[in-house]
Amino acid sequence: MVFIRRYGTLIGFVAILVFFSVMLPGTFPTARNWLNITQQTSMLMVVAAGMTIVMVMGDFDLSVGSAASLAGIVAALMMAAGQPIWAAVAVALVVGLLGGAFNGAMVSLVGILPFIATLATMTMFSGIAFVVSGGKTISGRAIPEDFGNFARAGIPLGEWGGVAINLPNLSIIAIVVILAVWILLEQTTFGRRLYAIGGNMEAAHLSGIAVKRLRLIAFSLTGLAAAAGGLMYASRVASANPVQGSGLMLNAIAAVFLGTTMSRHGEPRILATVVGVIVLGVLDNGLTQMSVDSYIRQVLVGALILVAVGAGSIGQKRR
Amino acid sequence: MSLNKSILAIAGILLATTVLGTGAAFAQSKVAIVTPYMAQPGTQFYVEAFQAVADENDWEVNVIDTAGDVAAVISRMEDLVVQNVDAIVINVDPTQVTAGLQAAKDAGIPVFGMDAGADPLLVTNVTSNGYAMAAETSTYVADRIKGEGNVVMFVFEAFPPVQVRGVVADAVFGNYPDIKVLDRVTPDVADGGIADSRAKMEAILAANPEPGSIKAVWAAWDQPALGALQAIEDAGRSGEGIVITGIDANPQAREAIAAGGNFEASVAQDFSGIGAATADAVARVLAGEEILQSVTYVPTKLITKANATE
Repeated sequence: MVFIRRYGTLIGFVAILVFFSVMLPGTFPTARNWLNITQQTSMLMVVAAGMTIVMVMGDFDLSVGSAASLAGIVAALMMAAGQPIWAAVAVALVVGLLGGAFNGAMVSLVGILPFIATLATMTMFSGIAFVVSGGKTISGRAIPEDFGNFARAGIPLGEWGGVAINLPNLSIIAIVVILAVWILLEQTTFGRRLYAIGGNMEAAHLSGIAVKRLRLIAFSLTGLAAAAGGLMYASRVASANPVQGSGLMLNAIAAVFLGTTMSRHGEPRILATVVGVIVLGVLDNGLTQMSVDSYIRQVLVGALILVAVGAGSIGQKRR
Repeated sequence: MSLNKSILAIAGILLATTVLGTGAAFAQSKVAIVTPYMAQPGTQFYVEAFQAVADENDWEVNVIDTAGDVAAVISRMEDLVVQNVDAIVINVDPTQVTAGLQAAKDAGIPVFGMDAGADPLLVTNVTSNGYAMAAETSTYVADRIKGEGNVVMFVFEAFPPVQVRGVVADAVFGNYPDIKVLDRVTPDVADGGIADSRAKMEAILAANPEPGSIKAVWAAWDQPALGALQAIEDAGRSGEGIVITGIDANPQAREAIAAGGNFEASVAQDFSGIGAATADAVARVLAGEEILQSVTYVPTKLITKANATE
């Protein structure tokens, strides 16, 4: 039974891959399509990696989508004002970090439930993005070409069927972020302490773990990752508007939840989150290629999450 | 839940997609429409009209709504390129999806704009002619005031599609020696444009208290026209016969026009016509024809009291 609970999602994932490969033999299992998928999921990958850090402690961050939008807007406004790209990106990342730290302070120092604290900051960050941008989309000549070109470029990998294949820059960033979060959560004392807090916050506190400080840091990192995801999004669409990151939040939480069905005690693991993100990305990619109606696609994605998480929790009850 | 059941459930979902996805597999050409703006009323008219033409041509049409997500438009375009569809139609600012346009171009797949904006990577963009819309309302104003009197213009230079409307109105009014443009106002649009236009119009009315000193208000879009209407009515000067026109014929404007007050005319875009014309452009390119115009214009319609409620 433990085997099923732990590997059911993975088996489902493989089943999806096999299914699309059989249905779309000429296009789905190709290097080009998989590089597309890594690029398409790169922004969600980064935001979900950040979300994993707080969810390890049993916390949530509902503000990541708004933080991503705000970071994109801040960078775009700075670039539109003639600032260099590096400065715009740096300031936007700092904004994300500070926003995350603010979340952390509300949760750990003030003691507001994460769901409520980040629901409030979600609205605040979104409102700030609207205020500073005047509600407009910043695009066209206001955005330096180099900023938009970054998301379209990559490291050449050679040719495939006469078409040049690149490892996209956005995919590289996602890989680096995943690696960093993996080291942080799985290889450091910091990570082990976060898992201890997630296991039992009171016990962690009594055993001398600086719970407040760690939660503050964890939320800051989630905010930083959200800002990075927002900047990647802005680069991909060569523009920024005050709501463009909003879709990232629910998908990031969904990906982490899908991932939790693969771990021993249902705790989030970064590599499991990666699988969760890829499941969502592959469904979008494969179902588009099969010409499945986009609304039906949404229903299917929701159904899949229910099946995966439901199978996991029923397995747990039986145990 | 046993292993078998969970696999069964997933298999069921996948089977359902097979049935849904292969329904039109035997049609000839695959055409996809990608838009983040399906929820907007105009978009639905485009898509319905497009599909009507597509049905006649026996195309397999895949309508993809990314629900406001512009980056997802790029992702779905990449998927469509991998799938090697015959044509892609977009309804989004092309400068925001250059990555997707480039992927399609590299694969030799034509991309069409359905009221998207002009772009060198599009075969053509099908839209309404802003110059022609402004010509409709400015000549309406000139005719109604019999070619003489003071006119207030509401313009907006910062937004290109609205800027071109002002250019045409300038030319039309300039061609009448007895029409004088009293003021050329750029309202603050941060609040939607109605409130500030109203404030600006109140000031102009105060500065020109004589009845007949203002013959008409020409607005480059509906919001300033609605603001001017409020100002004129509140100043108790609606009886002077000041003629107001807007452009776009939004629901609020149609209501005001139908009510029979000073707001007399606006211009409606033909959304269905844009959808049908886009499908025609796709059909021509699929038939091997080369389209030379980077923009394809669809005629618009003057809206007056006679047809405001249609």
